Amino acid sequence: MSAQLRTLRKRLKSTQSIKKITKAQELVATSRIAKAQDRVAASLPYARAMTGVMTSLASNASINHPLLQPRPQVRRAGVLVVTADKGMCGAYNANVIRTAEQLVSRLAEEGKRPVLYVAGRKGVDYYRFRSRAIAHSWTGFSQLPKVSDAQEITRTLLAAFMSGADDVGDDAGADGILGVDELHIVHTKFVSLLTQTPEPRQLAPLEVEEVEESELEEHVLLPDYEFEPNPEALLDALLPKYLTTRIYAALIDAAASELASKRRAMKAASDNADELIKTLRRSANAARQAAITQEISEIVGGASALSAAGRE
Amino acid sequence: MTDTQGVGRVVRVIGPVVDVEFPRNAIPAIFNALHVDIEYGDQKKTVTLEVAQHLGDNQVRGICMAPTDGMVRGSEVRDTGAQIKVPVGDGIKGKVFNVLGECLNLEEGQELEADDYWEIHRHAPAFAQLEPKTEMLETGIKAIDLLAPYVKGGKIGLFGGAGVGKTVLIQEMIIRVAQNFGGSSVFAGVGERTREGNDLIAEMAEAGVLPKTSLVYGQMDEPPGVRLRVALSALTMAEYFRDVKNQEVLLFIDNIFRFTQAGSETSALLGRMPSAVGYQPTLADEMGELQERITSLRGKAITSMQAVYVPADDYTDPAPFTAFTHLDATTNLERKISDKGIYPAIDPLASNSRILEPEVVGAEHYAVASTVKQILQKYNELQDIIAILGMDELSEEDKLVVGRARRIERFLSQNTFAAKQFTGVEGSFVPVKETVEAFKKIAEGEYDHFPEQAFFMCGGLDDLHKNEEELRKKG
Repeated sequence: MSAQLRTLRKRLKSTQSIKKITKAQELVATSRIAKAQDRVAASLPYARAMTGVMTSLASNASINHPLLQPRPQVRRAGVLVVTADKGMCGAYNANVIRTAEQLVSRLAEEGKRPVLYVAGRKGVDYYRFRSRAIAHSWTGFSQLPKVSDAQEITRTLLAAFMSGADDVGDDAGADGILGVDELHIVHTKFVSLLTQTPEPRQLAPLEVEEVEESELEEHVLLPDYEFEPNPEALLDALLPKYLTTRIYAALIDAAASELASKRRAMKAASDNADELIKTLRRSANAARQAAITQEISEIVGGASALSAAGRE
Repeated sequence: MTDTQGVGRVVRVIGPVVDVEFPRNAIPAIFNALHVDIEYGDQKKTVTLEVAQHLGDNQVRGICMAPTDGMVRGSEVRDTGAQIKVPVGDGIKGKVFNVLGECLNLEEGQELEADDYWEIHRHAPAFAQLEPKTEMLETGIKAIDLLAPYVKGGKIGLFGGAGVGKTVLIQEMIIRVAQNFGGSSVFAGVGERTREGNDLIAEMAEAGVLPKTSLVYGQMDEPPGVRLRVALSALTMAEYFRDVKNQEVLLFIDNIFRFTQAGSETSALLGRMPSAVGYQPTLADEMGELQERITSLRGKAITSMQAVYVPADDYTDPAPFTAFTHLDATTNLERKISDKGIYPAIDPLASNSRILEPEVVGAEHYAVASTVKQILQKYNELQDIIAILGMDELSEEDKLVVGRARRIERFLSQNTFAAKQFTGVEGSFVPVKETVEAFKKIAEGEYDHFPEQAFFMCGGLDDLHKNEEELRKKG
């Protein structure tokens, strides 16, 4: 009985320390979500202006830029998976990875060989554990991504995409680098504090997202730009920046999702721990009480047996 | 038996304990059987007492082997001059006895042909006679063969709380082991359900093992004196087969805890002070006296299987604990596992065997058993984390371990012959070699892609593949 009591107490203690951790994580996540949401909001005006410019550029029909042209034959497709650096955020990582795996198998079915680019340590761990090749990975910023991180990712992805233009089959082509012909991104979209959905999107060849009708009205009419020096040069400079904007938007969206997911998971974990603590405490108390009752009855029984023996 | 010894009178009757006064020169020895005639209404019967204590003042204290209703002070008590004796020999096979060695299933006009009558209290064999060799007894049950292999000529305990399947497992063992067994079997029913005892006789007759088996019953409706001695009566019959007939013997005892319980019921009435948890102070001694007699001698083995009830699922209770120390292999049945629907509900981590060593079972068997235990242990440690944080928080390695542990856990279940009446599925016998190979493959991850359901209630790898195929067809 006492052995049982001891193990119960030990489990109780460890559950209580787990609860301390999950509770703290929950509070930290709660305070960070607001900031993450602010960051998403702050990035919107720039993204909107950028998209506006791109839309007007794209409507200039004559342009012909490699980033905008679908390639006739797609042999290799890059997939950027945005995961978290740390766990303790429920099914967040598992969901992103599952969506990424669906995309990868879909691409493979279409005859495109997927090339993996991974942001976030959890994704790296996942693919490394299954010994799958990762073309490039970035870690250490999943909760607080900066524009410079997005720029770095853009640089790598753009280089891979550009060098893929001259590849023939598995031959690296003139530049000697095996590139990709398509770029996809899988990240988690922050819908609300309760809902975050993982979402695959295509990055390149770029489809410039038209500014939505409602937003158009705010801007009244798109001004008829005159391009100087010329639209091509402008596109060359702007398209990478536009790509960066989209990747940065995905990163901060993912960061907000991660925190929201973390908050919810940690809340559930704290509740589970509470439940476990309750049952453990009850059985520990019952075991303690049983031991006490037993000792008392043994003493009383022994004493009365002794006195009975003395009488005879 | 002639009653030429002393004649005494009943002085006091307290339940199953009776004090008797004898003439000064005719006091019976300890363990002597005494007879008392009782007239109770229109019934007349002779009950037997066994002398347990000498009280002084020419009085002895005896334990009664039948209800003491109708016994009155002053009744005449005859000393038989000997202990309780039971019939032994080939003539007792196929027969059912009570604690006094009276045959209960003789047909009209039939007479019991006993070679001899032996006293039930005997000495344990000397050290020098004991069998030093160890060999594994193959049962065909995966969980047992792999994790707690039974010893030929050894003592095996089946521990478990109420209703987790001890009696079913004992019956399973009778079907599996006794059927392909050359020697004689003895079954002792100690304080268990009378209905189960009756079922067992029918089942044994059906399985064809009854002609090789003697059964001795002292079930839960009998007074404690009976339950205290019935194991000894059965053991005495087994000893005769071993010592005189030089046969291999199987001894089944269901349930050894009732023996301890009966001792505890009489102990206080005999005036002994209760010890821990209210048990008799002589607990270890009584158990030792019994267990030490169940041993294998050179070339002639008694293999015994004993069910041990664990009160309130508490393994630290003195009664199961005292039995524990005598056993070569222990199979622990766990309620948590039977709750999951996994039968036989063997706890893979608590069950153990003396011969689970590389020298006896072989290096591979030992290695596989250790790996399986490690995986299950790890799963056990992760349970709280899974309960609090969920599966998603586990590292990739741990997820793999959990997946394998869950498959192993299910693969440790098996379809049994005794449970055919409940499940409608025929039992399966899995050779040790196949068991070891199967668990090795699962532990190495060869079946990680099989659904967990496929591992449930099946025999060897063939069954597993068949289940998987069926599940795949169902989609």
